[in-house]
Amino acid sequence: MLEIILRRLWQSIIVLLAVSLLVFVMVYVSGDPVELLAPPDATEVEVAQLRKALGLDKPLHVQYLQFLKHALHGNLGYSYVNNAPAVELIFERMPATFELAMMATIIAVIFGIPFGIIAAVNPKKIYSKAIMIGSLFGISFPTFWVGVMLILIFAVTLGWLPSSGRGETVKVFGIPWSFLTWDGIKHLILPSVTLAGYHLALIVRLVRAGMMEVLLQDYIKFAKIKGVSKKKIIFVHALKNIMIPVITIIGLNFGGILAFAVVTETIFAWPGMGKLVIDSIHLLDRPVVVAYLMIVAVIFVIINLLVDIAYTFLDPRIRLK
Amino acid sequence: MKKLSVLLALFFAGTVAAKTLVVGLSSEPRSGDPFAFNETPTNSFNYNIYDALVMLDAHLKVKPGLATSWEVKDPRTIVFHLRKGVKFHDGTPFDAYDVKYTVDRAKNWEKSQFKVYFKPIKEVIIKDKYTVIFKLSRPAPVLIRDLRRLRIMSKESTEGKSPDYIAFHPMGTGPYKFKEWVKGDHITLVANKDYWGPKPYFDKVILRPLTNDAARTAALLSGAVDVIEDVPLTDAEKIAKNPKFSFFKTDGLRLIFVGVDVARDKIFKGKTPHGENPFKDVRVRKAFYYGIDVNGIIKYINRGYNSPASQYFPSTVFGYDPTIKRAPYDPEKAKELLKEAGYPNGFEVTLDAPNDRYINDEKVAAAIAADLAKIGIKVKVNAIPKAVFFPMVNSNKTSFFLLGWSCSSADGAAFFDNILHTRDKEKGYGRFNDAGYSNPTVDRLIEEQDTLMDQAKREKIMHKITRLTLKDMPYIPLYYYVNLFAAKKGIVFTPRADHVMYYRDFKEVK
Repeated sequence: MLEIILRRLWQSIIVLLAVSLLVFVMVYVSGDPVELLAPPDATEVEVAQLRKALGLDKPLHVQYLQFLKHALHGNLGYSYVNNAPAVELIFERMPATFELAMMATIIAVIFGIPFGIIAAVNPKKIYSKAIMIGSLFGISFPTFWVGVMLILIFAVTLGWLPSSGRGETVKVFGIPWSFLTWDGIKHLILPSVTLAGYHLALIVRLVRAGMMEVLLQDYIKFAKIKGVSKKKIIFVHALKNIMIPVITIIGLNFGGILAFAVVTETIFAWPGMGKLVIDSIHLLDRPVVVAYLMIVAVIFVIINLLVDIAYTFLDPRIRLK
Repeated sequence: MKKLSVLLALFFAGTVAAKTLVVGLSSEPRSGDPFAFNETPTNSFNYNIYDALVMLDAHLKVKPGLATSWEVKDPRTIVFHLRKGVKFHDGTPFDAYDVKYTVDRAKNWEKSQFKVYFKPIKEVIIKDKYTVIFKLSRPAPVLIRDLRRLRIMSKESTEGKSPDYIAFHPMGTGPYKFKEWVKGDHITLVANKDYWGPKPYFDKVILRPLTNDAARTAALLSGAVDVIEDVPLTDAEKIAKNPKFSFFKTDGLRLIFVGVDVARDKIFKGKTPHGENPFKDVRVRKAFYYGIDVNGIIKYINRGYNSPASQYFPSTVFGYDPTIKRAPYDPEKAKELLKEAGYPNGFEVTLDAPNDRYINDEKVAAAIAADLAKIGIKVKVNAIPKAVFFPMVNSNKTSFFLLGWSCSSADGAAFFDNILHTRDKEKGYGRFNDAGYSNPTVDRLIEEQDTLMDQAKREKIMHKITRLTLKDMPYIPLYYYVNLFAAKKGIVFTPRADHVMYYRDFKEVK
């Protein structure tokens, strides 16, 4: 176990180096942040001063080496736009995104798995067909459209749920959380449902396909002949065998939701890190973009590790080596 | 029992009386430091917390702020008499030392984005606690207006504090006090009960950044916010017709215009019979003026909300010439002019435009291309992100471009200095003169009006500059931005051309 963790750590360092270099080059070719930051009234001398104050007057490789030097000291840079260290900005916003991603994943799992099973067990029934058609919509509708529609129906027309923001929060260990207050939960519903939609549909389809395949296998037939109850066959014998791909997808999707909840956060004015990073990309606020992508890379490494560990519980044949 | 009922009565009285205004902003302010970022959302926010020596009223005319009066002793000396008995939000008194301290910070702090406005101030002399004398390095006719941006900070409470601290602890003498900032979610302001001017109507103002257009509209329609700024053009008509909401509209300061390369001898991006630059000929420039259907663009792309521009700034800006009118769209005349210039079959040119800077920028560029196609010009639209666009056009790597400019001090000199004057790094002129226009007479007139204290004379020169350059026409004005606001019925305020929202001006009527 320790060995695999160390190996993952080593891999992640290489990933981080690659990510940071890529972002540096990409921001460099996508334009000049100083032109965006400097007010139009400023004279060229002042623009040059600003460029120097931000360290952007040096050649790219010098800037990158300087960044690496500071990164080794735990300093990933200072946002050009927000007057704060990039890492601090991201960690400040991370709980909001984490909360949203967690809620969306829970919704996707607690509805996705049962729906998938239902659709697999009685595929010819009308409700199974309804589930499958619904999942097709879930996969094909773009998130921004779903979000706007939900706002239109539940916030504007019916007035049941709020359309934006986090609502009332409660601080635990200095971090504000929405899911601890009723008002906060109301604010969480629409964005997390929007975010869950695609993943819910994906899980439904995955569970259904796996279940249908497994239900035809000999050991299931054998169990049936032996007189094992249908419930036990489905939830113990079959479900356990289809969970490996499902867990992989849940893990990957959780990372994906966490990292790229951008669209949903923008539509619902959810103050998470996705919104921060999209604003930073627009303004070419390189330190924030670099720090963000590096943190995301670390999150993905950790999630993959957790998924691998989960495998060993589900399938005793898999050992982490 | 009696005590309890009194307490209850007080409690309910308190809750009933607390009037709250929730505002949906289209972008989040970046800092509570008045000199860290010079951009409208940040400035608009800080104007509510800080006061300056002067203010601009709703018609952008100068009126007294923390200075009750001032005298121009000679072109290089201005004496300000300060308001007495004003206190900062933390209780420290306001006096001449704060003015001197603030000028110093605005001019000399390395990250200040306001250096350019206060450069003419050579020295601030404290004559007594309530009298300061500004010694200027040159006569500066726009300085009084620009002093509106000099939002006074408390020397006693701010000196020695780090910029990071100041950024999130804004503290001035203004009508609203800063209470809380949850980044990305909301900012809370509370009324300053000791404000020296008219007391604000709303006790509490909550600012919520709702950057997504649809989300901002939805928040207003669902009652989550009371007011929104920058009503999306696509939703404007629907909201304007809805009896549950009030709709506010005023011409903004920003001009959208196109420019052409008048400097090169060869065409840079395009194709002409002999590779020559067609824009060297003023008749081609005029043909573009007549050949672009500005009213059509306003009607079909911007839903009819903008006003066509006759010149470089709207009537709220000092220097505007009411006698200049925009000539009507006339494709026949345009074709005639092109024929005279030797292009009966037109030519090819690339129109560079940003696609994420101005409202509908890319669509407007496409419409210009379509209009010019009718007079035989083949225009290729190159719409790119602003981060690439600005470095490109500002180094003159363009033949034909779409640009916006706003004279944010409500004085036309900003357009003259930055766009019409020959590019001159040393003197700080022509940073956005992307056409490469250079006319010695115009340069001389611009420099003259920049140091002329007699505003009546100055206005005449400004009119002359506008007329001369519109005759040369390196830049073709198209239309002015429009500022659209919407609010729940009953909330009233005066929308401003400078797009600043002074929450003290907001009231609720039943």
